[in-house]
Amino acid sequence: MKTFLVAAFVALFSMAAHAQYEQVNLTVFGMDCAPCAHAIHVSMKGIQGVDTVDVDLNTGLVTIKLAPDNKASMRQFNEAVEKNGFTHKDAEVIVRGKLTGTAAAPFLEVTGTTDRFALAGAGADIAALLGKAVVVAGVLPQAPKGRVADTLKVKSIAEAR
Amino acid sequence: MKILWVSVCALALTGPAMASDHGPVFGYATPVNSQGEVSCDVGLFGRGGTLGTQLSSGTGCGYGITPHITVTAFLPVSFGSGALPESRVMPGGEWATGVSWRFLHSVTSVGKRVESTASLGVVVPGPLADSGILAGQHRAAGVAGTVASGYASRSQYLWFGGGYTRFAEAARDRRPDTISWSGVYGYRPVKLRRGYEQWDYRGFAELTGEHTGGVRSSGAVVPDTSTTSVWLGPSVLAIFKNIAIEGGVQAPVYRDASDAVYGREKVRFAINFSYLKFSGHNSSH
Repeated sequence: MKTFLVAAFVALFSMAAHAQYEQVNLTVFGMDCAPCAHAIHVSMKGIQGVDTVDVDLNTGLVTIKLAPDNKASMRQFNEAVEKNGFTHKDAEVIVRGKLTGTAAAPFLEVTGTTDRFALAGAGADIAALLGKAVVVAGVLPQAPKGRVADTLKVKSIAEAR
Repeated sequence: MKILWVSVCALALTGPAMASDHGPVFGYATPVNSQGEVSCDVGLFGRGGTLGTQLSSGTGCGYGITPHITVTAFLPVSFGSGALPESRVMPGGEWATGVSWRFLHSVTSVGKRVESTASLGVVVPGPLADSGILAGQHRAAGVAGTVASGYASRSQYLWFGGGYTRFAEAARDRRPDTISWSGVYGYRPVKLRRGYEQWDYRGFAELTGEHTGGVRSSGAVVPDTSTTSVWLGPSVLAIFKNIAIEGGVQAPVYRDASDAVYGREKVRFAINFSYLKFSGHNSSH
């Protein structure tokens, strides 16, 4: 029984450790000056698990790199933008998660968060990855204020190592 | 604690176009604090004329309740014995209460936004006596409202705004009502559109104007106390991350005021230092 519990704990831990956002490139509209960028930087750094934040005022691109084992959610990134009075547009993400659903309607579940995205454009080989941990690079389209997009447009998908 | 917080909110100010971190130093502008942001301003404001000078030193703090609603507190102290017209563009010795609401906020593209902000507050006399025609007057509180609209981008800024202040009567004395307005153009040169970890500079051309009504004393309007003036001058804003330093000077381009009562006001200047403390707290975890 004890061995079983330890094994279950290790399995659960390893799943969580490999299921998170690795990088989020978020386009933000409305930032015109240094304090705007600094405000975004401080807000993003306030999210647990965020490692580095880079803000480019001229392109509006906010690049967030996250530490392993983080449990940050997409809602937190959007909120960090909204609380400063700006608007978030499309976000390019690299995220680890578990592939669920069916080959016709696959979903990515980001373990450790409540984030769950329908995958669009995942390709024909998706069936082989169902039930496995995967790394997905894709685009989350702009969502209305206070919401997170439901669908992740896949650019690439691979089994997580 | 609740009472203390309410008291702090009650000391929030919107009256004069006090310099505020992102905007011009004289004119009205639209920026408000982000949610949870605390801003602190310390400024020195001067007016000089043929009948003396007036210096005001003010300390202000603001807090963003939401991304679009900010309360600020600004407690100026005024020095000097200049006989100068009432002004709401330049801080005097009055404290005030109020709140600013950015009721229009349209983000159009990277770095660009169009927005409008309204402020409403109560102005109360400060602890120091007034000078000039207002010396010895009984003082009462007033209400102040302002509206500003404008456009902000990485390269250019344009703001227009106006305000109105009306004081109550005290022992049949009353300070003059004031209508004020401003137009501000700002520009950031191409070479200065840099990363946010470098100093961020921009220059403004600030046009401000004021019309003050007559001063009422013992129930009667004092003759020749109504004034109208328009001022123009440059200002420069420098920001590094969360610290801002701003300075500007203005000269009159139009003036309709009694020389006998007010002399000839020749110059206005302002220097302001801001510190911004942004909140890293997020409500979702």
